[in-house]
Amino acid sequence: MTTAHRRPADPARASAAPGPTKRGPDRAPSDGRRTARSGHRRRRAVASLYLLPALLPYTLFAVLPALHTAYLSLFDWDGVTLPSFVGLDNYRRIADDPQLRAAAWHAGALILFFSVLPICVGLVAAAIVSRRAGRRGTGLVRTVLFLPQVVPLVAVGILWRWVYAEDGILNQALRAVGLGGLADAWLGSFTWALPAVGLIGTWVVSGLCMVLFLSGTQRIDQEIYEAARMDGAGPVREFVSITVPLLRPEFAVALSITVIAALSSFDLIYITTGGGPGNSTVVPGILIYRLAFGGGGVGVASALAVVLTAVISVAVLVINRLSREAP
Amino acid sequence: MSPSPSSLSRRTFLAATGAFGAAALTACSDLTPGASSSDKSSTGPVSTAVPADKITLVVADADDTTMTPGLLAAFREQHPNISVKRQYTGWDDYLKSINTTMSADSAPDIAQFTSGMQNLVPGRLLLKVGEYGKAYGWAGKFPGLDQITLTPDGKTVGTGDLYGVGAGLSFEGVYYNKAKAKKLGLTGPPATLEELEALFAKAKNAGETALVAGNLDGGLNHPFNVLLSAYLTPKDREAWAYGHKGATIVLPEAKTAAETLLRWVDKGYVTPKVNGVSDNDATAAFAKGEGVFRISGNWAAAAVSKGLGEQAGYFNMPPVTAGGKVRTTGAGVYYCVSSKSRNAAAAAAFLDFAAGAQAAAVTAKAGFMAPDAGAMPSQSGLIGDVQQGWQTVVTDAGLQPFIQNSSTPTMGDTLTTQLQLLVGGKATPEKFLAGLQTDYENYHK
Repeated sequence: MTTAHRRPADPARASAAPGPTKRGPDRAPSDGRRTARSGHRRRRAVASLYLLPALLPYTLFAVLPALHTAYLSLFDWDGVTLPSFVGLDNYRRIADDPQLRAAAWHAGALILFFSVLPICVGLVAAAIVSRRAGRRGTGLVRTVLFLPQVVPLVAVGILWRWVYAEDGILNQALRAVGLGGLADAWLGSFTWALPAVGLIGTWVVSGLCMVLFLSGTQRIDQEIYEAARMDGAGPVREFVSITVPLLRPEFAVALSITVIAALSSFDLIYITTGGGPGNSTVVPGILIYRLAFGGGGVGVASALAVVLTAVISVAVLVINRLSREAP
Repeated sequence: MSPSPSSLSRRTFLAATGAFGAAALTACSDLTPGASSSDKSSTGPVSTAVPADKITLVVADADDTTMTPGLLAAFREQHPNISVKRQYTGWDDYLKSINTTMSADSAPDIAQFTSGMQNLVPGRLLLKVGEYGKAYGWAGKFPGLDQITLTPDGKTVGTGDLYGVGAGLSFEGVYYNKAKAKKLGLTGPPATLEELEALFAKAKNAGETALVAGNLDGGLNHPFNVLLSAYLTPKDREAWAYGHKGATIVLPEAKTAAETLLRWVDKGYVTPKVNGVSDNDATAAFAKGEGVFRISGNWAAAAVSKGLGEQAGYFNMPPVTAGGKVRTTGAGVYYCVSSKSRNAAAAAAFLDFAAGAQAAAVTAKAGFMAPDAGAMPSQSGLIGDVQQGWQTVVTDAGLQPFIQNSSTPTMGDTLTTQLQLLVGGKATPEKFLAGLQTDYENYHK
């Protein structure tokens, strides 16, 4: 048992080892350093030329508007009349707003549904599908699980509004199995609206996670599995001791994408509950939308958008840092 | 795995981004918001002559009935030199995008005016049409012009300059399922609110949903608004809805209205789990034969009539005491003119056209009440009943503004949230009204 546990761990370390050696050019001998550097620099300049076609629209349509948003966050502006400069007042207002604190909590809770659950589901699905690779029906299962990712979120929202309705499929199913007492209008319940919306997210994102992990498992050397099997490891042991640790890069990618989706969630919630009932599913994205386009609070909305961007950036940075460290 | 970027490139990148950002921000004086608003928001002397040259009028609206396209087509027939381009946007999106639409250089000549657009007034994006009004004599042609008269800061309605006209008018009342109501013993419209509530109780005892409603998107505002119309004095109602300084909704009569609505929900008269049902789904369910009563506006008449056919009935919301005047909630489809329009005279001609007899036929067919009520062709069935109800509302001068329309630009969202809290048992009627008042005071500081 112990050997089975230790042996698969070794390749994991071996794969992490090449990391430092890849930074070779930085450790070039001192006499060859200058020419290497200048050549390196020229190559980089040429490389950036290739980036231009992508960089230009990105700058025009993403970077500049983002900077403009940051600029607008310093004003009290209703979207129409002349604005007045208020400095950091909008940020102070955000810190004082209880509705905003609620929104932050909800976004945090959504991480559970948009990240943690889909990653768990995706991982298990990937393990099962990869073990069944080549057998009949596997392709179909993979397609079905990935399908929600392809459907526009607005359509997903409308679909699930029917599922969660008082006479929707979910309640019909509950009544069919004699659990009619549990039936509820899920999106209108103060207790259940947030988990209900969250589970839609789980449904959407799980397929993406599965595909990510599937491609990851294909990267793993089959010999490792064979070695483990020879040591008597079953499917569960293989999964826990080989698949999971070796999928670290895929974990980072999945976590980054899903955490961004959770924190910046808007469309799903806008379509299904609009932030209600009361304020029980309000998230920062909804507040930004309400303030900027409904309430004439473009400045505060911009400040909120800046804060949200900062939070998401920090979260992604932390995820990437953690994933890069050796186990 | 890709190698991490060297410190050099990262530094260069950061420096470049920083420099770029600084340059962009210094250029921002041009991006300073609001700088594009025009000064030309009022006109000199005007005439009622319709220009004879070839003109294209762009019209932005959110009217999902046949009224606006019908009026535009009829207007075009009368003035073949004027072509019309309609920009239709769904209701919610229209409200959220109208500020940008009207600020753009390519702003439409005519736009449907509605709540939440008050900011356009201080932004000088709407043309003051008072001079045209005088020239055309709109005061005698359009009822309820005060709903589109605003102070220069746009915060108070009913005084100040005229910014448009109300073409088709809408109002709210009670639809009912004739077959089911007959079983409950309903022979004529209830004379008082109490009688209506007694009918609700009977319906419930018969195992029916008495009042079909959906509050996922705040649809309970319809019964709440008409209850307010019944209980609140018109003076208090208008002061609040029109944004008068110092007005309040924390009043005993408003509390009675909120308590009545809450009682209807608590006694099980209203669609169960009402917070989880959307307003449109409620109309659809009612039209399919679910429930006995539904409080909604004349815009729902077409759908109800199509679904229930002969069994569709309508009566006005009864007053609190028998024989009292009928009071209900309603608004108009208002048309205003952009201050950027180069075709203001042609646009004004369209506004005037909306008051005429030819327009009345189009408006009535779309289920709205025409400004020229006498010119509306009489119709049968449910739409005929609704039209008859409208005559009473006009006679009693009972049309009152929606509370969420003019009071503040955010009141729509606030009312939805607060109504969900109220009927979800999370807010008392007192707290509910206080919540509305807080929004009001944040805006009318």
